[in-house]
Amino acid sequence: MSYYLGLVQLIGIHTLLGLSAYVLMLTGQLSLGQAGFFAIGAYSAGILTVIFELPILPALLAAAAIASFFAFLVGFPALRVKGLMLVVATIAFSEFVRLFFFNLSWRVPRGDIEVGPDSTNGFREIRFFVANGWSAWEITAFVWIFVILVMAALWWTDRSRAGAVLRAVGEDELAAQSVGINLTAVKVTAMTAGGFIAGIGGALYAHTATYVDHLTFTVLLATFAIAYPILGGLSSVFGTLVAVIFIQGVLVEGLRFLGDWRNIVFGLLIIAAMNLKPSGLFDARTAQVLKRAVGLGGKD
Amino acid sequence: MSAVRLSTTALASMAVAALIAFAQPVSAADERTVKIAGWGAKSGPLRSFGVNSEAVLKAAVQSINDSGGVKLGDGTVAQMEFTYYDSACNADQAISVARKVESQTEALIGIGPTCSGAAAAMYGIFQKTVDDESDTGLQFPILTDTAIRPGLAKKSQWTFRNVPNEITMYDELFAWLRAQYPDAKTIYGGTETDQAHSKLTFAIVIVPMAKKHGFEWVGGGIEGVTGKVREGYENVLEVSKSSNWLMADTNFSVQARAFKKSGADMMIVSSHPFTTCGMLKEMKRQRIKPKVLVGLTSSSSAETLKGCSAAAEGMYIPTGFAPITDAAAKVAAAAEANGGSADLHSAAAWENAHIIKQVIESTGIMAKPETLNDDRRKIRDGLETLVKVDGLMGDIGRVQDEGESVKPYVFVQADSGTWKVVHDPR
Repeated sequence: MSYYLGLVQLIGIHTLLGLSAYVLMLTGQLSLGQAGFFAIGAYSAGILTVIFELPILPALLAAAAIASFFAFLVGFPALRVKGLMLVVATIAFSEFVRLFFFNLSWRVPRGDIEVGPDSTNGFREIRFFVANGWSAWEITAFVWIFVILVMAALWWTDRSRAGAVLRAVGEDELAAQSVGINLTAVKVTAMTAGGFIAGIGGALYAHTATYVDHLTFTVLLATFAIAYPILGGLSSVFGTLVAVIFIQGVLVEGLRFLGDWRNIVFGLLIIAAMNLKPSGLFDARTAQVLKRAVGLGGKD
Repeated sequence: MSAVRLSTTALASMAVAALIAFAQPVSAADERTVKIAGWGAKSGPLRSFGVNSEAVLKAAVQSINDSGGVKLGDGTVAQMEFTYYDSACNADQAISVARKVESQTEALIGIGPTCSGAAAAMYGIFQKTVDDESDTGLQFPILTDTAIRPGLAKKSQWTFRNVPNEITMYDELFAWLRAQYPDAKTIYGGTETDQAHSKLTFAIVIVPMAKKHGFEWVGGGIEGVTGKVREGYENVLEVSKSSNWLMADTNFSVQARAFKKSGADMMIVSSHPFTTCGMLKEMKRQRIKPKVLVGLTSSSSAETLKGCSAAAEGMYIPTGFAPITDAAAKVAAAAEANGGSADLHSAAAWENAHIIKQVIESTGIMAKPETLNDDRRKIRDGLETLVKVDGLMGDIGRVQDEGESVKPYVFVQADSGTWKVVHDPR
């Protein structure tokens, strides 16, 4: 069972990563910086529980706050660029963060060993969960409490004026500005929120994996972060969850038996999915179909 | 049928097909087979690690079954079965496979995950100390091949490794080179700094061991490097920063120029085959010809010879495997027949399968579903009590406290497209 629970944990964590990019995408911004915020969350939370021996909850919230602070800082210069330039700028940020942790060595004695980030050697011993007797069920529940909270918050936001503002900026900046929307505030807020969510995801990741190193946070992770909302669709937060289940659950884990052919089939299925469902796996139409199916009404 | 329905059906079919394959059933309860699991990088840039490891493991299991199988605790003789998974040299995937094998299969032990980074991550999810009920880590024995970065197995009492000890090997190598090249005085080198194994071995083992045997870094040595492992580690990386590279680098002209400028008698290229070849080709292009060229253990593989045999000509490397005994030659041939190659990394998979057989037969394993957890525990305990096992090149000593091994080794030199054994200290 621990395998399935581990998979459910991973899906939850990657959903948070995808949602951190989803918030930004609502405002029309495409960022590859989410891997950087995820890394900041992972290392910060690890340092707080391992070196400062804080309990997991305050460590996690502090790590998310630190990640969101950096996202806030990145948000301002990022306003000056758009589209592909923003992608390049945020890749640069992610690489900066990755290389910072690649060089970070902060070791403190703990019993007969040293703990803490150890440069290229990675950051081991982030064992808060297992060392405190948490069962796989408890860890899974802990992860999913955050996933559900974040999804609920975003779902609610999407249905509020704030959500309309985010989407208005994403649809047409000029039109949004002309009706009095403060673009700076909206974009920086979205970036900060995305950083906070990625920070939570990173913190949870570090503690479920028990080890992180700079190679965990490469451009590939950043690509996954934006691939989830794109593949899942931006019409709802559930699209990101569906895409994560499809990629992590079905493609990465489900196709493992294919061995060498896995990556080829993986790529073909992604292409097939995007062609068959160009608006996302969970687009507005699918949402309507599901609503009707569960008796919530609604028309096409 | 509308396009939407068609596409939804198609996607659902793909998902269901994958999930059916994904949910592999646990084997029938009455089968008395000894199941083991292997995993490693079968995709990605380090794919050869997993391919070679699987090929050797396949040959080992076949040889065990051909010679009668494994004798269980009640006298039954069972066949050995193995399943090999792709964990792509990725921490998440290695962890996921470990969890899958532990909870969804009847495998008694795992052999994997080939890459040091993945191993370092994966070992963390195991119970640190046996019988510590407050630690909910996995309780499943692992006997790793390939992943060679120093000091990993002691992370958990459930994790063991059968990999060479680089400190001993380089210590002996430089002692031997000292005798072979009495005129060689100075050294210079570089490493791929984003690969922990390459970097650490270079800075904490290779350079200090060279110093220990009288080779001095050009320009009067490095402050803090005394000849003891780890001492002066930071300074080694500092002085070599203009000659280091990253694993994804494809241009080595600056680093090679630094090598050339150094004019050192001995040059060290501490990296995996992919960048070793890039660096050696650039050195050849710049006509850099040191008296002695030394490489990282991981480069004493077929990949280096396939990639740059001419540029690597003359390079010395210590290795834990060479086909110099009948058993080793047999394994090399069997691995090739299975589409892989036996080298210092993968040959351990053969030894591991035979070590597991030995432990199973000595600890009374029953290989029944109802005894699965007991069997796994017995195998762990059996591995911990091992003092010495048979290896392909001679006896392998076990370091019980740390789960590590002390393997016999030889020194090889690239010679006309092959690795020629130039010194055999066994």
